[in-house]
Parts: sequence; structure tokens; C-alpha cells
Amino acid sequence: MADSAGPLSGVRIVDFTDERAIYGAKLLADLGADVVRPEPLEGDPLRRRGPHVEADGGGSLWHAFFASSRRFFAVDPQAAQGAAQLERLVNRADIVLACDGAFGVAEAGLSEALEHRPELVVVEVSSFGADGPWRSYLAPDLVAGALGGAVATTGDADTPPLKAFGELNFMVSGAYAAIAALAALHCARETGVGQRVHVSVHECIASCLEQVFMWYWYQHNIAVARGPVLERRGSRHWTNAYEVMAADNGSVMVTPAPDFDVQLAWLLEHGVGAALLDPALQAPENRSELIARMMEVLREWVATQDAEAVFHGAQAKHLPYGLVSGVEEVADNPQLAAREWWAEYLGLSAPHARGPGAPYHFGETPWALGRYGDIEADTAALLQEIGWEGAA
Amino acid sequence: MRPLDGVKVLDFTHVLAGPFATRTLADMGADVVKVGTAERSGSNAPGTPYYLMWNRNKRSLALDVSTDGGRAICRRLCETADVVIDNFSAGVLDRWGVGYAATQAANPGVIYVQMSGMGGDGPWSKFVTYAPTIHALAGLTRLTGVPGREDIGMGFSYNDHQAGLHAAVAVLAALAARRRTGRGQRVDLSQFEVGVNLLGPALLDYFVNGRAAAPTGNKLPYDLAAPHGCFPCAGAASAAIADERWVAIACMTDAHWQGLRRAMGDPEWARAAAFSNAARRAAAADELERRVAAWTRGLAAEEVMARCQREGAPAGVVQTGVDLAERDPQLAHADFLMEFADPHPNVGRTFADRLPIRFECTPCDRYERVRDIGEDNAAVLSDWLGMDADAVQRGERDGTFR
Repeated sequence: MADSAGPLSGVRIVDFTDERAIYGAKLLADLGADVVRPEPLEGDPLRRRGPHVEADGGGSLWHAFFASSRRFFAVDPQAAQGAAQLERLVNRADIVLACDGAFGVAEAGLSEALEHRPELVVVEVSSFGADGPWRSYLAPDLVAGALGGAVATTGDADTPPLKAFGELNFMVSGAYAAIAALAALHCARETGVGQRVHVSVHECIASCLEQVFMWYWYQHNIAVARGPVLERRGSRHWTNAYEVMAADNGSVMVTPAPDFDVQLAWLLEHGVGAALLDPALQAPENRSELIARMMEVLREWVATQDAEAVFHGAQAKHLPYGLVSGVEEVADNPQLAAREWWAEYLGLSAPHARGPGAPYHFGETPWALGRYGDIEADTAALLQEIGWEGAA
Repeated sequence: MRPLDGVKVLDFTHVLAGPFATRTLADMGADVVKVGTAERSGSNAPGTPYYLMWNRNKRSLALDVSTDGGRAICRRLCETADVVIDNFSAGVLDRWGVGYAATQAANPGVIYVQMSGMGGDGPWSKFVTYAPTIHALAGLTRLTGVPGREDIGMGFSYNDHQAGLHAAVAVLAALAARRRTGRGQRVDLSQFEVGVNLLGPALLDYFVNGRAAAPTGNKLPYDLAAPHGCFPCAGAASAAIADERWVAIACMTDAHWQGLRRAMGDPEWARAAAFSNAARRAAAADELERRVAAWTRGLAAEEVMARCQREGAPAGVVQTGVDLAERDPQLAHADFLMEFADPHPNVGRTFADRLPIRFECTPCDRYERVRDIGEDNAAVLSDWLGMDADAVQRGERDGTFR
């Protein structure tokens, strides 16, 4: 947003990202930075990503979400004047976010800008890093997740390894790109030293795998480990103490952790689980067996219960159960409603479009979703701002 | 010099989400002081593998906040910090006398990040959550799987990592704001809201079009791309699921499909009109993917990947932890995994995966092993509060610093 009250008000960013880091640009734009996204005259290919507004064969909701709070700039970087316009945009920026090979990156004169403006921050996101044997490999989200280690963890014995729904691998690299940009900006403002920063999508994904490296490095110190790799096994957590269970009318993520005594007492209140009182099971060295037996009891008991009642009953006991929710339930969630969390997505071809709000709430410099950009108006305004002759 | 040199972070976080946020800040040079007690248990117990994963590059201060002396030190530390961060349920730090109001009054520049499960207010604010709870409530579990199943979901605590990364973004953004305004502020981060946000396009689709997303396995929910999935390969060391070999192939464009055809030796079946464009391939995806699987089944996953990538088709081995650690030439080239030179006093050999960000001018190449609880008492109390060694030793004797 050009004018904002957000924490990044006054920070200027040029966004040359593709799917691999566009989420990072979104995070920065929604925090109030003035983010300009150049796109080809024929339109950003990401405007073709689904879902779309159905009513009028309209715009991409994928693009509306990931390219939120930005100004769009139509340009032909192959033309001399287009390349010069990009250079002007870069030369007034604090940060450039770029993905290798993305639109406009090669023509924007980033190396020259870094030479002339030592305070500039350029974040370059690539699939595998700036060099190395896989440097030129192609890796859309599924392939990136497979090579990065995420896909092997997910799925069940009777399914292939599975990717997560949506774009979750690239949302990790996007978040890291935002961190890289802001840390480098902090450094530049403290010291005057800007720099080029490299972010490898492959390493980003591999850094966010919870138990995977722990299993490999410390398997001999993990009581439940049976080798260096934990197989995909549905929802059962590596501790064996979290699992999605079928209830009478839905599913609930059930866990007796962290307080097994509270869980046991709750089961006993309902007249089940007396066998778990066996003193042998209560011994610390038999914790794994206790968990296994308790999960068996829970499976049988939860199957007879109302899903929502089990969820709320457990949370009343401070047991971290979770109701397995679909999009409809998420949309109606009372916690989100009470916090007035949903945001209006203004500027879409659909009126009154609601969507996700702030992932964090700043007390003094509030997060705010900017109006979805209008490429013609934005381009005209930006041409004026960069002092381009002939601008309307 | 590292990018966050000089930034002082007081870290009350535990388990994964919070410690991952502060680990990221510590990797970039922030002075992160993790406040702990030797009495912690479970995943928070010092020296457990889980604790070792998320707490490198931090200094450790043992502090018993159940004592008046401990709480007084805690207040002084909060008055000195640039950033105070916790991921307790709402209200815990208030009970220690270091809630936001008290801390901000004494330290107007403080950035005070509370990353609770559900946020600081609302009817569910006291709910207890771990990542599997959030995955379930946010829709990630229902949607990650195959049609007809609700019991798969993600195989690791993805949202904990994302909550940590978002908290790091929030800290850095608040630092930028403080530079402009001169004031700190409170940041209320709900891990649930982070998780819901990750399904952005699907939620917009629901609100705008009334269409509720459903799980699609490895197919893309909204775009035409086929083949797009994981395919079985040869070379399993045993019949165990953990030993299975798979390759992911994702043809997002006609050019990718042409590349896959070449990689497969351009078989007759692949030239059929039924596969000639994205829409047709998507319509015939089951048949197409059966044929691709018949090809991959006879080859090693690495061979399929190499042939596909050589021809311009995106493909990658479905890598396990062993693959990443022992067979991944790209991670080896980047020196991504490392062993700490300094053995942990109680555990011995410990390891780390490096920060996936490379700053050209301010490299973040200092990696220090996880500290034992209270191992840095003297240094931290001297650096932050100017306390002399005698005072620290008295506090250690009377139980304040343990």
C-alpha cells in the first residue's frame, strides 16, 4: 500500500516473485509496505491460477490472495523504455524480492543497482540455491515438497506419499523470503550496508520438518523410534499420542497429552478405561505402553460420541483435542468471528468478498489488507511517480 | 557482523512454535536468552532430542519465577529487552508480573510478542493447542488427504514452523516500526489464525463462489496439471513403508509433458490425442498416471528424476530423512547439515540444519550448540543487568537462578 499505518509504512519494495516467494511479498505488503509488482503487458501468468470468481468468469482468487495490497505495473522489459522503467522502480526501492528466472528480473539491472546503492537489499529466491548440482532443476510445489522431505512424511500405508493441500511448501519459502528481506533491511538501516541475500526453497522446506532430522540424528534416544525414518502413517503423530479418530458424526484429533492423568480421570468419569489404572502401566518406563492402551480405549469411546461435544469437553479439561473441520466450519468458527478476523477483499470483481485476515495483530501499527490493485490506474500513477515522460 | 547483532530477545517460549521463531532470530545474530528451569519435563526437558532441535544459538538463563527474587530479575530483564516473546496460553506472564502493560510502562520500546494457540481474546482463548490441534481446526487435516478420508492430514507439525516464521516476521516488522515511531508494541499472534490464513484461496473460493474445497490427493485442486503425483519406483530395501521408493512428477505445462514423453522414450500411448493438451490430460489423469507408474516402477527414483529433469520435466525423488542426510547432493553442496564441534555436556554429539538464508555481506555462519539450562547465567546477567559474579553465585545458591 502506498499510504498505510502498518509497521512497514514507508518501506518500498519491488516484487519480482513467482509462486516460490509471492507469499513473502504478500506478508510484507499486508504489513503496510508499498509493494509494486511488475507484470507483462499480456498479464501476470499467476492471474490464471484457480480458483476464479465464477459469477462473471472473473478474476483469479488465487492471485487476489497472494498478490494482495500491491500496486501492479504493466511493462515490457524487452523494450528499452520498459527496462528503463524497471530500473527506475528498483532505484527508489528499499528491497527487491526476486525469484530466479521470474518476469523482469534479468532486465531490472539488479547488480548495477546494488553497486550504485549500497543500502539496497535484494533477496533472490531460487529452487535450490545459487549453485550446486541441482541448480537448474525444475521444482513446482509438489516436486519441491518431495525433494525437500515434506511429502514422504504425509499419507498412509494405503496411499502414495501426499502433498499438503494448496501451496504450503512455497508458503514456507515465502515466509523465509520475508524474514530475509526484513532482517537485511534492519541491518541496512543500522549500518548502511545493504546486500544480496539468497534463499533456497529446497533448504527452506528441509528446515521445517519437525521430527525428520531428529529421527535421523537421535533415533537411539527416542523410545518410539524403530529406525532412522518414520514411515507415513496417516494422522498418527511421531509420539503415538495424537491421532484423528472417528466420532459418531465427524472426526476429532484426539490426544491424551500433555496430562495423561487428566485424560484418564476424564475417561473414568465416563465409565471407561478402568483397565488403565493397572499400576504396571503407571510406571514411567511403561509410558509407551500406557499411551498405546489409552489410544485404544479412546478410539472405542470416541466412536460413540458426538464429535463437537468431545472436542469441547476435552478443551474444558485443558486437553488439546481439535475438531476436524472443513472449510464451512472454519468459515463459521466462533473464535474467528469473535475476533472479527475475516477481512474484506476490496477491488475484486465479486462484491463483498471475504477472506483471511491478519496472521498477527499489531497494537500500534495495525495490519490492514489493501485494496486489490488496478493495473491501469496503478501503472499510470507509478509512471508519474518515477517521473516518466509522457505519463498521463 | 550478522544482520540482527545487538537485538536482545528474552525468550519464554517452549515446545516448537516459539522456539523456532527465536531460533531463526538467533541464527541471524540476535542475542536470544532462553529463560528456563531445570524442572521442565516432556518435550521441554533440556537435553531431549526435541529440545536439541530448536534451541541452538541461544543463551540459557535458569530462573525460578515462583520466587519473589526470580520474578524481580524477570522484570528487570524485560525492562532491558528489545523483544519479549512467549507462546504460553493467555495470561501466564501477567501472573509473573511481566505482562504487557507492566513491561511497556517500564520499557516503552519493548516489542512484546504473544503467540498463543488461539489469540489473546475470544471464547476459545484459553484453549490448549498443539500443531495437530491447529491442523484439525484450521482445515488443513480435512483437506490434506484423499477423497473419503479425514484421518490423514500432514505428517509433521507444519503449522508450528509457520507460526514460528510468522512470529519472526512480526518481530522484524515491529523493529522497523519502532525505528520510525520510537515506540514498541504488543503483537498478538494466534497460531490458529496463521493456520487458517494458509488456506487463503480455498477460503476466498468458499466465500465468493460458495464452493467448499475437498481433498484431492496429489492433484491440484483448481488447476489443470497432469500427470501430477507420486509414482512408485524400484529399489526398495525392504517391504517396509519407510523403505519404499517414490518419485514425484508434476507436469504443469505442455512443455513439461513433452519433456516427460522424451524421458519415457516417447512411447506410442503417450502420443494419443487423449493426452495432447492439459485439459485432456487432466480428464484422463487416472489412465495417464497408471501408464506413467508402469514406467517408473521399473526404475530407481533417482534415475527417473535425472531423465525427467534432463528433458525439462519437473520430477524429484520423494526424499526421506536418510535421503536428505546421506544422498542429497544439493544439501551436501550447501553444507546444510552439520555436527557441532563442541559436544553437549550431557548429550555428547549434537547436530543442526543451517538457516536457509545466505546473506552475502553479513553471513550467518556461527552455530553454537544448545546450552544446558543455566549454562550462561553469569554471562547473561552480567551483559543484561550488569550483575557481578558474586551476586550470580548467591542467586544460584539460593535457588533464584536454577
